[in-house]
Amino acid sequence: MDPSLLYGNLPIVLGVFLIAFLSTRKRLNQNFLSLILLSLACILIVGSICSGSSAQRWSTELPILSGIFPLTFLSDGLSSLFLLILAVVSVGIALLSPGYLSHRQDRLHAGHYWSATFIFVLSMCAVILSADAITFLVFWELMSITSCVLVATDHHQHSVQKSALIYLGATRIATALLSAGFLWMHAISGSWCFESWHFNAANSYGAAVLILIGFCIKSGIWPFHIWLPYAYPAAPAPVSVLMSGAMINIPLYGIIRILLCGDLNSSEIATFALLLGSISAFWGILFALVQNDIKRLLAYSSVENVGLILMAISLAIKARIANLPDICLMALTAATFHCLNHGVFKALLFSSAGIIDTQAHTRDLRHLGGLVRAMPYTTACFLVGALAACCLPPLNGFASKWLLFQSLFRSIWESHSLLDRGTCIAAICLLSIVSGLTLASFTKVTAVCFLGKSRSNRSENAKECRAGMLAAQIYFATICVVLGVSAPYVTHSLSRVLADTLHLNFSQAPTTAINTPLMALLLCALFSLIYISFSSRSPVRSYSTWDCGFGPLSARSQVTSDSFAQPLARIFSPFLQYQTEIELSGKDRRHFPETINAKTRMVSLLESRVYLPALTIISHLAKMLARFQAGSIHIYLLYVCITLVLLLLLSAKL
Amino acid sequence: MITELIHWLFFLLSVLLAPIVILGTIRKTKARLQARRGAPILQAAFDLIRLAQKGETVSSTASWIFRAASTIGLCNVLLISWLVPWLSFAPWAPPADLFLVVYLFAMSRIFTLLAALDTGSAFGAFGASREATLSLLVEPAALLGLVALGATSRTSDLREIFSFTNTHLQMNPAIWLLVGTAIILSSLVELSRMPIDDPTTHLELTMVHEAMILEASGRNLAIIEFTHALRMSVLFGLSVQCFMRAAPAVWKLPEIIQAMITIIGLLTIAMAVGVFESLAVKLQWRRIPEFIAYAITMSLLAALIAVAGGIV
Repeated sequence: MDPSLLYGNLPIVLGVFLIAFLSTRKRLNQNFLSLILLSLACILIVGSICSGSSAQRWSTELPILSGIFPLTFLSDGLSSLFLLILAVVSVGIALLSPGYLSHRQDRLHAGHYWSATFIFVLSMCAVILSADAITFLVFWELMSITSCVLVATDHHQHSVQKSALIYLGATRIATALLSAGFLWMHAISGSWCFESWHFNAANSYGAAVLILIGFCIKSGIWPFHIWLPYAYPAAPAPVSVLMSGAMINIPLYGIIRILLCGDLNSSEIATFALLLGSISAFWGILFALVQNDIKRLLAYSSVENVGLILMAISLAIKARIANLPDICLMALTAATFHCLNHGVFKALLFSSAGIIDTQAHTRDLRHLGGLVRAMPYTTACFLVGALAACCLPPLNGFASKWLLFQSLFRSIWESHSLLDRGTCIAAICLLSIVSGLTLASFTKVTAVCFLGKSRSNRSENAKECRAGMLAAQIYFATICVVLGVSAPYVTHSLSRVLADTLHLNFSQAPTTAINTPLMALLLCALFSLIYISFSSRSPVRSYSTWDCGFGPLSARSQVTSDSFAQPLARIFSPFLQYQTEIELSGKDRRHFPETINAKTRMVSLLESRVYLPALTIISHLAKMLARFQAGSIHIYLLYVCITLVLLLLLSAKL
Repeated sequence: MITELIHWLFFLLSVLLAPIVILGTIRKTKARLQARRGAPILQAAFDLIRLAQKGETVSSTASWIFRAASTIGLCNVLLISWLVPWLSFAPWAPPADLFLVVYLFAMSRIFTLLAALDTGSAFGAFGASREATLSLLVEPAALLGLVALGATSRTSDLREIFSFTNTHLQMNPAIWLLVGTAIILSSLVELSRMPIDDPTTHLELTMVHEAMILEASGRNLAIIEFTHALRMSVLFGLSVQCFMRAAPAVWKLPEIIQAMITIIGLLTIAMAVGVFESLAVKLQWRRIPEFIAYAITMSLLAALIAVAGGIV
């Protein structure tokens, strides 16, 4: 099928949306709008699957731009893949939004939300499909601005204003770097088209670094990740789902599309990217461990996952330079598969977090607990998401993490230099620490939020969410399980599409050697066998938890999210700047203290020592510049005069 | 066909018996060193049967996760024992990828942690917090050792790494000894045995495993105890297999003698653990990372051999 025909429908969808939006201006029909979004996502799914790995390009001349520049688009295997991820996440958004918005009527303006969401989704599509730098930047900006608008949906709160501003700043710097890189490449190649850009000469490495850093800022790689834990918690749940599930993949897609497909052959840049990726994987999950806000925790876990994906991409670049097509394909499959998996499980976790927020009216782990009794389905879905985020078999996270492990593992003996081998072993070691930390963080958030006794009235009175929101969670959870169980087939088809797109001559297609369907079946069979054979024998008595004979335990005697993470935080205290202060007071305070105050303190070094001083310097400079802007017409006339004289002198010299 | 059947028979027998005999041997050794006669070797089996027949008390705070977790843990460990070559003989099994095995262990661990946190008890929760910390520290050691073996033999399939036809590692006793030591040291941490944790005491003294399973009773406890013992046999068995392969002479012996060496090795390790537990004292919590550092050093050395020397 001709993809241009299909994707040509997108403006029509936008038109239908606008008509619907304008005609129901008074009372928005949420279900109708979500149905349109759903159909949009379905068009994308059909389009991306139908177009497969065949490359199609087309261009449109927008009436407003006619004569200036035609927008050119390209649809191939790689872009279809990322469109599919976007579409899969959008379906969940369509299910989640009406219910979530009706809970938040007082705070959120549904009209703003829906119009921005539609533009956001469509601009993401266009970014993925764009074939040249100008088209890319136009839609990239549209995407950044609409996402910023969406983050600021609840703009009456001061914290949201601050978050939106930080996010806006990050997107500005990212775009600036990208534009610089694109201009540089245009100067070298004389073309805006991505296909004619090649990064295989030393004069293009500078541009490659600029583009890489621009994309890193937008995807939240260390040390540019600080906007992420601000923007995600501030945004409404469907927006954080869309941002973490779909938008965060687009810069990574850009790295693959521009740098990897552009034959980047600087091993140093690839190693630099690998280093950035590994640091953000470690840093992200370490900070996730000590968070108390569920959404902040998930945002930091996104930093970790983006780091993993960047690791895989840079490994693919390295393998391509070293002429190891098998490892290149495997690492690239790991990267794209992890984009998909992370998109799905993070979307699931963020929708659950949003639902907890609407039902229990708090996201603070210190006030949650015991939600499993009131919200059994949400608990089950969140558990699936948490297990997938820990990359446990047979869920989807495992398959892609396994591919990453395997590609690192194989490069130990396939790569030629001793340094590369050592790097790979170190990366495997780091990944195992990361997975241990992930396990601890997600155990913490699952247990403190859903298990035990509730820590406040708010979570005590929570109820299971509405059918629509539940459907979104179940939808994401099902995809997690299905992708995990069918991992060998998904890996196979992904690697085939990628090999076709990148023209890789591999000798052996990567397969997950693990028979996940068999394993899942075996685990289920064993579980039911043991559970049934052991469950019908003797009576079960329900009794209170062991309290050492001191009387019933209260919710306050449970472990808190801080105390659970404390031993680990202490080990990594140099990174976290983690400090605990315990204050005992009372008459005989050593032995029988009357009150005990424990306080944990944590400073983000990067924010306090790097970004804040930089911002202060910039604002100082701005103030100095402001002196020139005196507000008096005489001085301005003087400036004009001086400029004129200078220009005249300059032209006289030339 | 017949040999496959015999393999299955012996394998099932070892899965049932090895955990109990190893546990019994450790306890017997400790009792003899304390000049007691001690319980019979098979006492653990009687205990398990008695526990399984007892009624069960479940905390009213606990949810379905509490009771499902033990079963999920057992399933995982059974699957691991089928995949991992911890005995020198084994029935047919799909490839045992080393990363898969590590993540299966992680799977059983997360459910143990969740079950411990489910009852809202501070004991269980602090046990869980410590277990998460320990496993984080010890996982790199175990994984790195196995990766070193795998990189030298150019496969991630544990069965191929440990097969006697794999010539890459035949004349490489150093790496086997190092990895064997790394596995045994990290399994002492992983299984919450001395000097990390005292498995014979309760509450305050036992800070990790016993604290986590404090709320379990009856058949739930029986399943947990058996799972734990089976995990112990698999880990000890794996290190026995490593030590065995350090002696080049063992490689060419007939299968039945290798099987006997395996059994003797398992019993020896059990006795050694018993002796060690009688002599050692429990380490202070803050000094445990130092102990784990030994395991990590062993693995690092093995990895160095693999990177520098093993792959030529």
